[in-house]
Amino acid sequence: MASTSVSRPQILSLYRSILRTARQFTDYNIRQYSRRRAVDGFRQNGGLTDPSSISAAFSDGESQLQVVKRQAVVYSLYAPEVRSVMETYLAGKRS
Amino acid sequence: MASITRASVSMPSLSTSVNQSQRRISGLNSVSFPVSGRSMIPSLRLQRGLQVCCAAKQETVDKVVAIVKKQLALPADAAVTGESKFAALGADSLDTVEIVMGLEEEFDITVEEESAQSITTVQEAADMIEKLVEK
Repeated sequence: MASTSVSRPQILSLYRSILRTARQFTDYNIRQYSRRRAVDGFRQNGGLTDPSSISAAFSDGESQLQVVKRQAVVYSLYAPEVRSVMETYLAGKRS
Repeated sequence: MASITRASVSMPSLSTSVNQSQRRISGLNSVSFPVSGRSMIPSLRLQRGLQVCCAAKQETVDKVVAIVKKQLALPADAAVTGESKFAALGADSLDTVEIVMGLEEEFDITVEEESAQSITTVQEAADMIEKLVEK
């Protein structure tokens, strides 16, 4: 299905999608974790040059995007009423 | 003879309509004169590529600069202006994506894929933010 070599815009688009989807989490912890994991994962694989490992990492990223999308829905079903203290503390500090 | 400078246009021959148009003009890219009947000067639209006048407000540019500095971990006194390119400041393409994300969160806007890929300088980001916030 996919072309043999993954292009840079495709990778950046995947990165953007993952970050956007991770923003939808209502739970502070999982939201920060997925953002951190995405940043670390993409930076770690940033130095790859071999096309096959690049496309392997890319399809790995795509499956992770699907995981994040599903989990965003599941987490929202069981969202706690009390927000994390990190959020209230930071919001109080900012305002 | 009309000369377009940074957000100020003066036409001495138009008396009453100048007051109304001057109130609207500050910080716009396109200038059109509401002259009754004939139009002395056709509506001037500054192309994106010309960048003759900086359309974005200074506070928007300042906020963008603050976000860029935070993302790239630059010291507070680093020289970042409207013309600074992200690549020149040491940002790779992943950093640019994160900067655009940060701007989206800060200004509560949504940037489309194609527009996001075309941002290379601080000024472009500020202009695009202004455009999206106006909507």
